[in-house]
Amino acid sequence: MSNPMLEIENLHVEFETEDESVQAVDGISFEIHPGEVYGIVGESGSGKSVTALSIMALLDSNANVTADRVRFDGTDLLSKTDSEMRSIRGGEISMIFQDPMNSLNPVITVGEQIAEVVRHHGDVNESTNLVQEMRRKYVTGTSADSASWRRAVELLETVGIPDPETRAQEYPHQLSGGMRQRVMIAQALAGDPSLILADEPTTALDVSIEAQILNQLLDLRDEFGVSVLLITHDLGVVRETCDRVAVMYAGELMEKAAVEELFEDPQHPYTRGLMQSIPRLTDDREMLDVIEGSVPNLAAKPPGCPFQDRCAWAFEACTQPLEEHEVDPGHDVACHLHREDIPEELGEWNSPTAVRTDGGDDR
Amino acid sequence: MRRYIAKRLLHSLVVVWIVATVVFAVVRAIPGDPVQLMLGGDATQEAREQLRTQLGLDEPIYVQYARWMGRLAQGDLGESLSTGVPVLELLIQVGQPTVSIGLLGMLIALSIAIPAGLISALHQYEWDDYVATFIAFLGISMPGFWVGILLIVFISQRFEFLPAFGYVGPGEGIRAWFSHIILPAIAVGVPYGGIIMRMMRSSMLEVMNEDYMRTARAKGLSPQLIVMKHAFQNALIPVVTIAGILLGTLLGGVVAVEIVFGIQGLGRLLINSVHQRDFPVVQGSIVIIAVIFVLTNLLVDLLYTVLNPKIKYGDGGES
Ligand SMILES: Nc1ncnc2c1ncn2[C@@H]1O[C@H](COP(=O)(O)OP(=O)(O)OP(=O)(O)O)[C@@H](O)[C@H]1O
Ligand code: SF4
Ligand SMILES: [Mg+2]
Repeated sequence: MSNPMLEIENLHVEFETEDESVQAVDGISFEIHPGEVYGIVGESGSGKSVTALSIMALLDSNANVTADRVRFDGTDLLSKTDSEMRSIRGGEISMIFQDPMNSLNPVITVGEQIAEVVRHHGDVNESTNLVQEMRRKYVTGTSADSASWRRAVELLETVGIPDPETRAQEYPHQLSGGMRQRVMIAQALAGDPSLILADEPTTALDVSIEAQILNQLLDLRDEFGVSVLLITHDLGVVRETCDRVAVMYAGELMEKAAVEELFEDPQHPYTRGLMQSIPRLTDDREMLDVIEGSVPNLAAKPPGCPFQDRCAWAFEACTQPLEEHEVDPGHDVACHLHREDIPEELGEWNSPTAVRTDGGDDR
Repeated sequence: MRRYIAKRLLHSLVVVWIVATVVFAVVRAIPGDPVQLMLGGDATQEAREQLRTQLGLDEPIYVQYARWMGRLAQGDLGESLSTGVPVLELLIQVGQPTVSIGLLGMLIALSIAIPAGLISALHQYEWDDYVATFIAFLGISMPGFWVGILLIVFISQRFEFLPAFGYVGPGEGIRAWFSHIILPAIAVGVPYGGIIMRMMRSSMLEVMNEDYMRTARAKGLSPQLIVMKHAFQNALIPVVTIAGILLGTLLGGVVAVEIVFGIQGLGRLLINSVHQRDFPVVQGSIVIIAVIFVLTNLLVDLLYTVLNPKIKYGDGGES
């Protein structure tokens, strides 16, 4: 297999607030290969956005990021200076944010918002010093003949915006939600990246637009061979778009597998719980199985498995530090049920019909 | 846009007309008789009647109103009852110092407060933020005339070239003119600038937390570019609104400050003419103030459309 595009090993992100420290990301490892769409799926607050932002070094100054390794295309990102990071951000690694209305600047035309990325990271040979940029913004506007502007129009066309010359002159509020998200994608492509971090790129959109945008992303992956980290809380989206996926819970990765394998053979109680809470159209059950209980407080996580309070199978060992168990090649599960020495009565947990009735509170 | 401006001008006209009507009624409702005040207590009944007829004050109110309105419509503000000098001439005379002081005060305030607010926000909770915030609060808590008194006591007394009294027109030398208006301008600018600085600071802080600022950082732009290109204009939008609204307070400040500095300005004229019940002068001054108000408001709104692309005044839109 080729060298990974992105390698993360034992990444920790801790936020220092006034009276506590929050472990938002707690020792995660994964890697993304060239041309791969890698999904991170998890509930709200599980640390998905923080993971992406820490790769870009875009977290607030109260964040303390440590890792054994954060390598992008073979180079270490942790040792980069601010200015080195700036040339990577928006260039080799770009990011798409969730909310397309607030993520675009309301007082800059969409064309210019794309063109400025081209100027900073492309080879168009247009000055990006402060004076020139200020002149463009406040005096002359971006020339429609400039290479960066023409490239911006081209990109708008690539992402499927009709009449791109006119649209480029417009401001974000003049565009629909779906179009704004396409602009975000065009902006993310403008620096010719090898990796795109897409943080819930379709959450704010309705279902039909969501499908279009996701297909667009896949087409772009096929066309340009970029790798994509796709963050979502929607297993349906994962199934449609990703090659491999990691399930995140309370700052930790519970299960990592190829997408088909995860759906066919989930090996973690949390993953199974998530799958059962996907609404199925063919299903006439009114009630969904939603996992009972709530996510642990990240400032005071219990030792051991973060899922222990909600897990039907929890047993004595669950308060011990988790390890990853490789159940199949490329399929890792962080759960003590995969140890050799589990109590006998838990042995049949893995049968498809297994239901534990005693509430699992026998620790 | 042109239609919008035309519509706004029409609205302005209505506002000015209402103000004119109200002031017409109010000056006549104040007890006191201009003729009595002009002639003094021992004038004969006959002399009073004669003067009253001469000034047209014996006619029914509605006739006086109609006549005044008729002249106003032609841009004629009438003559002073006591001196017979055309009101417009008086206003131009006193308007010069008032407008010079107001404009210079605003200019000084904005050119210090906006950068200060910006820097303060970028350096939140650092020493320069504390210093700027302290000065701003000090400024906000002192009315302009009080700042004027302090300036006279502490600055004018020490530096002879900054006079504490009177006004000299620009015709008599730019330098003399400037030295006479700079202290009053600072006095009116201080409380105004204090508020603007605080507004700019909080507006900037808010903008820096917007999602689109994170996008700008994710593009790898330099910090300076992020601030000046992506944040500045957005932060300015609410500040411009407030700056416009506060122009009224600024004008009020000028009137008080002029009195402290012994300048014959609009404020002095207005007060004197109220004392003498010089109806045309009071009416004319108020009408002019109303005109200045509606025009500056229109200007501010137009500036607002330039800053904020979301606002486009078209047909039938904003009123
Ligand atoms: N600047 C910060 N200071 C303190 N805590 C933070 C900060 N940013 C994020 N957190 C905390 O980190 C945790 C993870 O947040 P994150 O935004 O990564 O969640 P998420 O998985 O992206 O959720 P969502 O699906 O809602 O976007 C949350 O508990 C959040 O409160
Ligand atoms: S069995 Fe234990 S380790 Fe596995 S998910 Fe449940 S609580 Fe966590
Ligand atoms: Mg998030």
